[in-house]
Amino acid sequence: MSMDGSTPITAAPLRRRWLTLQLAERLALPAVWAVLIIGFGIVLPDSFLTWGNFAILFASYAPGAVLSLAIIVPLTAGDFDLSVGATLTLSSCIIGVLNVWGGVPIGLTLIVAIAAGAVVGAVNAFFIIFFRIPSLVVTLGTTSLMTGIVQLMTDSSTIGGIAPSLVDAVVGLRLFGVPLAFYYALALAVVLFYVFEYVPLGRRLLFVGRGREVARLNGIAVARVRAGALIASGVLSAGAGIVYAGVLGSADPSSGLNFLLPAFAAAFLGATTIVPGRFNPWGAIVATYFLATGITGLSMLGIPLWVTNVFNGGALILAVTVSQLTRGREASDIG
Amino acid sequence: MFRTGLLTLVLAGGLLAGAGAPARADAAADGLAAAKAKLDAYRAKPVFNAPGPAFDIKSCSAGKKQLSIPNSSQNPFLKGIIDREIKVGPMIGLKVEEWQNQGQPSQWVQGVEYAIRGKFSVIDLISGIDPKTIAPQIAEAKKAGVRTMTSHFYDPSQPRSALTTSDLPVSFNTIGKILADWSIVNTGGKAHIVVVKTDEVPPTGPLVDGIRSEIAANCPNCKIVQEINVGIVEWATKIQASVQSAVQAHPDVNVVLPIYDSMAQFVVPALTLTGKTGKVKVATFNGTPFVLDFIRDGKVDMDIGESLDWIAYATIDGHMRDLCGLKQPAEINVPFYIFDKSNVADAGTPAGYDKGYGDAYVTGFRKLWMLDK
Repeated sequence: MSMDGSTPITAAPLRRRWLTLQLAERLALPAVWAVLIIGFGIVLPDSFLTWGNFAILFASYAPGAVLSLAIIVPLTAGDFDLSVGATLTLSSCIIGVLNVWGGVPIGLTLIVAIAAGAVVGAVNAFFIIFFRIPSLVVTLGTTSLMTGIVQLMTDSSTIGGIAPSLVDAVVGLRLFGVPLAFYYALALAVVLFYVFEYVPLGRRLLFVGRGREVARLNGIAVARVRAGALIASGVLSAGAGIVYAGVLGSADPSSGLNFLLPAFAAAFLGATTIVPGRFNPWGAIVATYFLATGITGLSMLGIPLWVTNVFNGGALILAVTVSQLTRGREASDIG
Repeated sequence: MFRTGLLTLVLAGGLLAGAGAPARADAAADGLAAAKAKLDAYRAKPVFNAPGPAFDIKSCSAGKKQLSIPNSSQNPFLKGIIDREIKVGPMIGLKVEEWQNQGQPSQWVQGVEYAIRGKFSVIDLISGIDPKTIAPQIAEAKKAGVRTMTSHFYDPSQPRSALTTSDLPVSFNTIGKILADWSIVNTGGKAHIVVVKTDEVPPTGPLVDGIRSEIAANCPNCKIVQEINVGIVEWATKIQASVQSAVQAHPDVNVVLPIYDSMAQFVVPALTLTGKTGKVKVATFNGTPFVLDFIRDGKVDMDIGESLDWIAYATIDGHMRDLCGLKQPAEINVPFYIFDKSNVADAGTPAGYDKGYGDAYVTGFRKLWMLDK
């Protein structure tokens, strides 16, 4: 038996095994999510395992899902944007101040909110790219800056009474029993998936993130791509703020920052699934709702809320570790 | 023989059960009536009750300085009290200053040191600064002759910190009882309650005890279905999801009590999403304007409020009594007032912090302080 003859015989099973492993890695988190749903469903068949419960879960975590999608754009390009939580707050408070206090029509306030998000992204990009200051530092600074501006704008008070038309458009109207907020997050994930996978811009974003110098030598306008990614995250965070204002029906000047860590957790957890090793929109969506399922199930069981923090942190570390093990502990491209 | 004995036992059991049912019904009706009577006291327009004998306040306050340190200047409730203290001060020759801070203990430390250097007479730790956090500085202030007081934070049942010179507590236990009585009355004595609380805030304990004890005393058919404890920084991310889960897991829930009313903004969407708006009643405490607006919009049913201006007068009254060497009142002596759909219009549109409570306290305190001699 010659070497030439034996090679194909051993390579095929090896390849099959590799493909199986890859598939297992891609689907590990959705599988664990399914197990979690089945587990809570067995314990709480009447309350947890109902369409109504999932409809509400999908809608109430939509602002978090949109925020995690906002984060993955600059993360793919190699920049951290810590200002997304503050941008969410700024956007929802602009809506509150203009619509409730100023009597501005709701449609116009949404445009102003989105524009404010773009301005935040542009300011971040200017300091990060023009002055070459690390993105962590700049976005930390703009977070503090926006927190102050929001306090000034709102007098540190919650503003209730946002136009019912926004509330209806976000949680009032439903499709298959699920409020529209969820579909906005899904639609955004579809758009990002298309851009990341099928549009040259998505590939350029990835190349810039993997190696700026190599990307530059290949003729990619690195600065423009990075700036675009930061402006996109500003706009999308402002979008998350719109969804948040619609879910609450009010604008809260102090709570948006609390979405920052869960959104980053979802982004990193999402990078272990669907397209492992890369920040990807479907991964972020799956991760957001995986964590939400855990929190909802534990809450329904009446378990103290500190357990949910342990669940969130434990799930993140465990998932990333398992992902690394299946990849043979190779150096990660992330972080 | 055995069968006869069994029959007797069954008959006796039946008679006992029959006798027990009216007794329980009586207890329920009595409890309902008792709860209603207690609530009525908080529905009437607040009247001024003197917290102590009249005294010449200016003899102690003139030329003195008070530094008010809030838990955080970003809290509009606390900042509102201090802003009003600053306005009351000149009436009695007292200069009131605020130590602006963002809720960081290092900033409170700076505040106390500023008061010592600036030769202030009184440091008022308002709503939320645990004296233990800045113990060395308070001890230093004491040595320098600066009196450190707490106000509007502890319940009278809680031991006063040995570090401070005096304390003006608020009966959070009474607030819990009002919330419980309101739940009993508004469900016809069949309240199934979810309590949303924050155990890390010290007054929460006595407040929730008030809910529990009043339910136990006045309502045999009521129960607290679940108590959800959420840390302050997690209100935005946890309250909505937890309340959604609770009302879905327990469809018999008909009242949610977010004990501090800023929590209500996260309870309202939880009820909207679960389709429970109107079916599950929401009652709370603090009288924050946006929550009063929620009552007008039909999203919240009741809010127990206190007039910030009244609190400002009462705080200064208590601290100046201490400075004069007079006995301080056992409580801050600010009345609680129930806002619901029937009277929320009195709070203004949009609602304000001091509207709807009347102004009986202004003439009351001026007379008590001997300003209109």
